[in-house]
Amino acid sequence: MSPPLSRWLWHAVAVALLAALGSGLYLASKRIDYTWRWERIPQYLISTEGDDQKAPFDGFVAVSEDGKTLSMTALRGTETAQFTGFSMIIAGNGDLVFEGDVIAKTDAISAGPLLVGLWLTLKISALALVFALLLGLLIGLGRVSKNPAARDLAAFYVEVIRGTPLLVQIFIVYFFIGTVLQLSAFSAGVVALAVFTAAYVAEIVRAGIEAVPKGQTEAAQSVGLSGLQTMMYVILPQATRRILPPLAGQSINLIKDSSLVSVMALTDLTKAGREVVSSTFSPFEVWFVVALMYLLLTGVLSVAVRRLEQRYAVQG
Amino acid sequence: MSPSTMNDANPVLIEAREIEKRYPNGVLGLKRASLSVKAGEVVVIVGPSGSGKSTLLRTFNGLESITGGEIVVDGHVLHQRSADLRALRQRVGMVFQQFNLFPHLTVLENLCLAPVKVLKLPATAADQRARELLAKVGLSSKCDCYPAQLSGGQQQRVAIARALAMQPAVILFDEPTSALDPEMVGEVLEVMKQLAIEGMTMCVVTHEMGFARAVADRVIFMDAGEILCEDAPDAFFGAPKHERLQSFLRQVL
Repeated sequence: MSPPLSRWLWHAVAVALLAALGSGLYLASKRIDYTWRWERIPQYLISTEGDDQKAPFDGFVAVSEDGKTLSMTALRGTETAQFTGFSMIIAGNGDLVFEGDVIAKTDAISAGPLLVGLWLTLKISALALVFALLLGLLIGLGRVSKNPAARDLAAFYVEVIRGTPLLVQIFIVYFFIGTVLQLSAFSAGVVALAVFTAAYVAEIVRAGIEAVPKGQTEAAQSVGLSGLQTMMYVILPQATRRILPPLAGQSINLIKDSSLVSVMALTDLTKAGREVVSSTFSPFEVWFVVALMYLLLTGVLSVAVRRLEQRYAVQG
Repeated sequence: MSPSTMNDANPVLIEAREIEKRYPNGVLGLKRASLSVKAGEVVVIVGPSGSGKSTLLRTFNGLESITGGEIVVDGHVLHQRSADLRALRQRVGMVFQQFNLFPHLTVLENLCLAPVKVLKLPATAADQRARELLAKVGLSSKCDCYPAQLSGGQQQRVAIARALAMQPAVILFDEPTSALDPEMVGEVLEVMKQLAIEGMTMCVVTHEMGFARAVADRVIFMDAGEILCEDAPDAFFGAPKHERLQSFLRQVL
């Protein structure tokens, strides 16, 4: 172990270099004509805009004297309606409003577009991960199978998927397979990400299985276990520990790759960022915040996996 | 059948007839090797490294395929395209040079896995059998240890107990003491000696000439994939017939 003092010194050097890089970037950004408007960002994370109370039909608005009740009478017919419990009245007394007009607002705190996008990213990544793990395990087992047909098919899958760009695969899944099988954009996104990631998971599984010493298979077979039993009770439990770290890396890649589904009308975190940029004209701030939110997701995941690894390591 | 009454009437458990093993690169690993092992017999195979003795042993439970000849093990016929190795392997135990215990399972779980999954023994019965066997090899206190927490000698004794847990007709030992520190060799040989006395049929590949001399019913000498001679231990070591064997014994003794 190195002496603590010099170690702290080197950590300080790293921090200093990062600070220098950061301030360099800051100074450089000063020279271009850009106004930083960080204050615009929070409303896109958490929206306080509240819900709209819309007019259910065409008619005249009447506001009660205490300002707490709105009543409407229909322009044609005899329909009436009363509304209470709002925080702000938009329509004035005696106004003529039409169906769908906002006549009042209620107070509410809701997730802004960026958080909604984050949630979709999380959902699509989690679902894709589950399918990728199942499919990847299956194909990984195919890679090490004794059956040549299974080996060929698995190798074909891995080569095709790893040899083509994810973006192209997303287009194919969305426009071709999605049209043929009538998939929604969300399902198409899950399918594309799962199919792509499964190829990498399969290679990780294969490497993990091949890293278990051959003597383990021989010992399992010599006590009479079948091929399936050998895999389930002897090989896979040992492979799991080796597979876990690279699998964590692949899961993190999956979260990052999910930003590509923004090309197919899915408002994930990246697409939400693009939309917010077009309404704030503050691209720098928005993209920094979006990057930070991705970092948050991947960071939580890697901490969770490290915990899991430690628990496995205890078994020795 | 007890060992004291052992005679020619004992059934033959392993009958290898002219087996041949040719590797894909054309090298012959085994040349027309013939061998028979009767129930209750202890057969020790010796020979220089690369002589094919481990290969021969591993053909007996199908870990090594053969390209010619025929092996009959406890009624199961093994030849070039053998199908049902599982049924055979339940009757033939194997102890490896590197122990090959399952590192992710405790000692007790190592012993119970196959009886529960293969013989479909109830967990409690398997557990009881495992504890009895561990007591037999002197490791009752290590039930809940993981293999990595045991010494090499202890691991190999667990491996022997694991083979015994399937109640095999014969156990194959593939250089069981070669990976051990010298001071641990004795404890493993002691367990094997005890098994021999109890009448277990054993095929042992080893470099421990002392064990061969003391325990074997027959000793077999192999060189370059061939069985050159076999004899009772006294004659084998006292009056070696084959010239190649004489020079081998001069080197190892």
